[in-house]
Amino acid sequence: MQRTWSTGRRQTWSRRLAVAALGLLGVLQGGLAFADARSQAKRMHDRLAGVPPTEAVLTAMASDIAAGRPTDAAQRAMQHRAFYDVTLKNFAMPWTNRDQTVFAPLNDYVATVIGVVRDDVGFDRILYDDILYAGRSGSGIPALSASSNEHFAALERQGVNLRDELVRTTQSAAYGVPAEATAGVITSRAAAQAFFVAGTNRAMLRFTLMNHLCTDLEQVQDPTRPPDRIRQDVSRSPGGDSRVFLNNCIACHSGMDPLAQAFAYYDYDETAGRMIYTAGVVRPKYFNNEDTFPAGYSTPDDAWDNYWRKGRNSLLGWDGSLPGKGTGAKSLGRELAGSDKFASCQVQKVFRNVCFRAPSDAQDRARVDAMTASFKASGFKLKQVFAEAATYCMGD
Amino acid sequence: MEHRHAPIRPVRALAIAALALVLSACGGGAKTVENPVTTPGGPPTYSGPAPATADVQAFKINVWDNLKASNRCGQCHVGGGQAPQFVRLDDVNLAYSAANPIVNLTSPRDSRMVQKVAGGHNCWLASNDACADILTQWISAWAGATAGGVTGVVLKAPPIFDPGTSKGFPTSPALFGTTVHPMLERYCSRCHVSTAAASQSPFFASSDLDEAYAAAKVKINLDQPALSRLVVRLRSEFHNCWSDCASNANEMEAAIVAFANQVPATQVDPSLVFSKALRLPDGIVASGGNRYSGNQVALWEFKTGRGTIAYDTSGVEPALNLNLSGDVQWVGGWGINVRSGKAQGSTSASRKLHDLIKATGEYTIEAWVAPGNVAQEDSRIVSYSGGTTTRNFMLGQTLYSYDFYNRSSSTNQNGDPKLTTAAADEDLQATLQHVVATFDPVRGRRIYVNGEYTGDADPSSGGTISDWDDTFAFVLGNEVSGDRQFQGVFRLVAVYNRALTEPQIQTNFQAGVGEKFYLLFSVSHLVGVPESYILFEVSQFDSYSYLFEQPTFISLDPTAKPGSIPIAGMRIGVNGEEAAVGQAYRTLDTTITDSQYGPLGQPLANIGTVIALEKGPEGDEFFLTFDVLGTHRNVRLDPVPLAPGPPPDVQRAPDVGLRVFDELNATMSELTGIPTTAPGVASTYDTIKQSLPTIETIDTFVSAHPVAVAQLAIQYCNALVENPTARAQYFPGFDFAATPATAFAPAGRDIVLDALIGRMLRTNVPTEPSATGVRGDLDLLITRLSNCSGSCAADRTETVVKATCAALLGSAATLVH
Repeated sequence: MQRTWSTGRRQTWSRRLAVAALGLLGVLQGGLAFADARSQAKRMHDRLAGVPPTEAVLTAMASDIAAGRPTDAAQRAMQHRAFYDVTLKNFAMPWTNRDQTVFAPLNDYVATVIGVVRDDVGFDRILYDDILYAGRSGSGIPALSASSNEHFAALERQGVNLRDELVRTTQSAAYGVPAEATAGVITSRAAAQAFFVAGTNRAMLRFTLMNHLCTDLEQVQDPTRPPDRIRQDVSRSPGGDSRVFLNNCIACHSGMDPLAQAFAYYDYDETAGRMIYTAGVVRPKYFNNEDTFPAGYSTPDDAWDNYWRKGRNSLLGWDGSLPGKGTGAKSLGRELAGSDKFASCQVQKVFRNVCFRAPSDAQDRARVDAMTASFKASGFKLKQVFAEAATYCMGD
Repeated sequence: MEHRHAPIRPVRALAIAALALVLSACGGGAKTVENPVTTPGGPPTYSGPAPATADVQAFKINVWDNLKASNRCGQCHVGGGQAPQFVRLDDVNLAYSAANPIVNLTSPRDSRMVQKVAGGHNCWLASNDACADILTQWISAWAGATAGGVTGVVLKAPPIFDPGTSKGFPTSPALFGTTVHPMLERYCSRCHVSTAAASQSPFFASSDLDEAYAAAKVKINLDQPALSRLVVRLRSEFHNCWSDCASNANEMEAAIVAFANQVPATQVDPSLVFSKALRLPDGIVASGGNRYSGNQVALWEFKTGRGTIAYDTSGVEPALNLNLSGDVQWVGGWGINVRSGKAQGSTSASRKLHDLIKATGEYTIEAWVAPGNVAQEDSRIVSYSGGTTTRNFMLGQTLYSYDFYNRSSSTNQNGDPKLTTAAADEDLQATLQHVVATFDPVRGRRIYVNGEYTGDADPSSGGTISDWDDTFAFVLGNEVSGDRQFQGVFRLVAVYNRALTEPQIQTNFQAGVGEKFYLLFSVSHLVGVPESYILFEVSQFDSYSYLFEQPTFISLDPTAKPGSIPIAGMRIGVNGEEAAVGQAYRTLDTTITDSQYGPLGQPLANIGTVIALEKGPEGDEFFLTFDVLGTHRNVRLDPVPLAPGPPPDVQRAPDVGLRVFDELNATMSELTGIPTTAPGVASTYDTIKQSLPTIETIDTFVSAHPVAVAQLAIQYCNALVENPTARAQYFPGFDFAATPATAFAPAGRDIVLDALIGRMLRTNVPTEPSATGVRGDLDLLITRLSNCSGSCAADRTETVVKATCAALLGSAATLVH
């Protein structure tokens, strides 16, 4: 690439830009009180699509807002491709890797989230449905593969319009996974690569809780749950001191292990680059370090139980119409997605994404509660949540 | 306990090869006094009749030769001496006859001879347990049971009593701090504090009240203060009394009584369905005895529990006893915890390892050890060495790996090259592990962890060990020089002068470590089946907990049948209350039926659980509770947790934020019409995207952001102006080929400014920068850049447009929203 400017000159301009940026902050913050429909529309578009609107869209959105239809304005903003290519992609990307970084190539997990939002599929289905979104087959795009992410990486590299080019399919058809073994993004190739790789599969539960129930294990610790399902690999006397187990380890493992048992047939083959599912056969990783505490639980199958339905974690709001136990990832995904916490977590994530802050005060919390109720009542349509959040935070 | 009665009834055997020797009371033996010499003293040459049978010969070699010394049983139990004369010197065959009634070859530990010594009868060491263990080894060797003959356990009906009221230690040390602690601090702090010159654990005299309380709990009996070790130690053992032992003991007891009187007793909730109660000593010792101990030349089981000597109870003379120095504490359930110190034998006693191992040319180191962490490197677990660079052998730790050094003809004097387990395998874990290191000249070194060969090949060939040095010392937990600390718990260490085979190693792994008890919790009063119990295998797991496992329903009446008994929600009670943590059997939900009930009862679960220790194995009283047992029900209502209140309000973050990396890229693409995939743009973006903002929050703005924004803006504007088609559409009618003076004449200047402002700014948006103001600034910029003093480069006009474009594209109008 031919450089047009010298380095020294670029630095000079950079400093000027920085000064300009800071100066503009004062202008923006001072002007908020006087925001009108055009300002509200501009902000709404910026927040939703990540890019400024064209004059035509801005005018149309301002008209919507002026007419008391801010949600229509938001829907108009979400028609921009950047809402999918940029906003949703980066919204979901940190969920798909252990480092929780946004700087990762597009993958099937993210594409599925984008597709589900675009098509107003119930967002809860991302944890249990046999669902997958991939690019329309076209020139230069490698075929969709269970053992490679190249299809999705190429979509991103070539700047493919995800709003228009993602098509819905199923994991069972595309990857050959038995339909009953699919569980939405949990069984996506990207999630398997990140969370079924090596280890003991507890990572899949932990990251699903973090990403979709906004809850890390520290927050669900409850030492009063029965420890009968804690596997043999957990030392009951770390370093020769069982107080560590009785005061700490047990608090997470007692609830986590009987849930993570749902993934007993899943693994990730690093050599083949694909998820493994062995129906009826517990993966060897479930017997890692089995001599650490031989009297611990030895996993016989993929039956899971939700011990957190009782005790303090009952506050996560589990769906009383579900049994709280089952076999395999699909029913576990349904259990997690059926919780109140799942719904409120999605709303909180959207709120933070659009409003640039966590719910901060009673007014914010009331709004999030209302949006959560609306989200569930509407059949888990996430676009509506984006629209409501953008309306709430579009300025006065 | 006044409720207690202890019927001893005929019982059922758990294993076919059962033993049933019920000992009569041992009577009052002489008080234990340590004899001065620990090796058999001056054995006279035997000149009596030859052993009549092979069994007599085995008796002679294994028992008689070891006990005949005048400082052991030979002092009294000889011809003309005290009966039974099992070490008479005149005729080993008669000694054999005298010995037979007082030994149990099926279960050597239950031999009366062992029981007498264990009860304090003329032990030749300071520890009765150590003498009993050594004696057991000798009798076992006589019995030929070393190959691991299965020993059985006879279940006897335990004492039947209800869970009593019990006093538990308060969580807060405050009461202790005002009653007992002042005395401990005043009279015991010369030794029982970690900072003392002659520091002696436990540190119950520490000035740190929490530390002192934790250490003192196991020494205090709140239910029976007079039985507190703190009192007994003064009253009966005359341990460092500060004036008169009797009055000192009374003073200490009064302090504990004052403490106990203020602690309310815990009563069992009468609504619970509960079994009868038991303490650990009420259980039946699970005489495992399944360890393979052939060719064992040294053994430390760390049973003593106090003092500064860990006894070698292998029975192989001379005993290689280890002196504990530094911060080394005894661990409940047998063991030592090395924190900052070591356990070292003398060089003379250590020499037996040299002599016995060199004779065979092969050996095994076996240890039940719990490394304290996986961060220690180059630390010594078991070593027989002369310093950090010279040794006969060493088992050590480096992070997640075990290291095995062996001095041989294939290695140097330090045992290098070492055999180490693969780091990636993480064979070493900071938990109790059974680790075995073997060496023989053919296969070289091998390491086994938890019964399995690690698969790590010896980097050197086997070789011979003829160069071993007999002046080295055997040490645990450190180097002999004290500068290679290993932190961790030792539960058992053994050395053999043969390389154990894999089956032998697995046998010892399966045998486990520590003392186990069978506890029979009576439930006859609940299920109507005579002599029915819930049987648990219980052991002290470490200093802080018990391990309960293998619950089984069993009746000691061989004619009894359970019928059909539902059982659900079983919990373990400790000292009048259900344990708060560790209730693994509360999910139990099954039915005891005739069809599933066999000679060994009906197993109820195949998992175990750890329950926190409260008062110690002598004081803790256990019982079981049930939600359902037979016709009894205890309906529990799960408490509804209180929802937490709303979090405190915080000030809202600023409404404005930063456009993040991908948004900036898309925005610049949108505003210039240049696709993100354009060459140059894409590569620049890939290079600098992590320098762009990644979080919208305005507070995260740093100086690197505008630099990266400027770079990206320049690339977009460069791509725009360098592309004839794109720039013609963007700046219609503008003459890029003209000189700046011509091109930026008012008409051309307006084209550029109109295009940039029209595309990049939204007008009539009060929160946006003023278009007029921006236009004025850009106008000035064009004027300034157009001035090249009559010597403009050919591409100067393009450069000015790029700069003007980038100034606006990379400004806060793009970055902030």
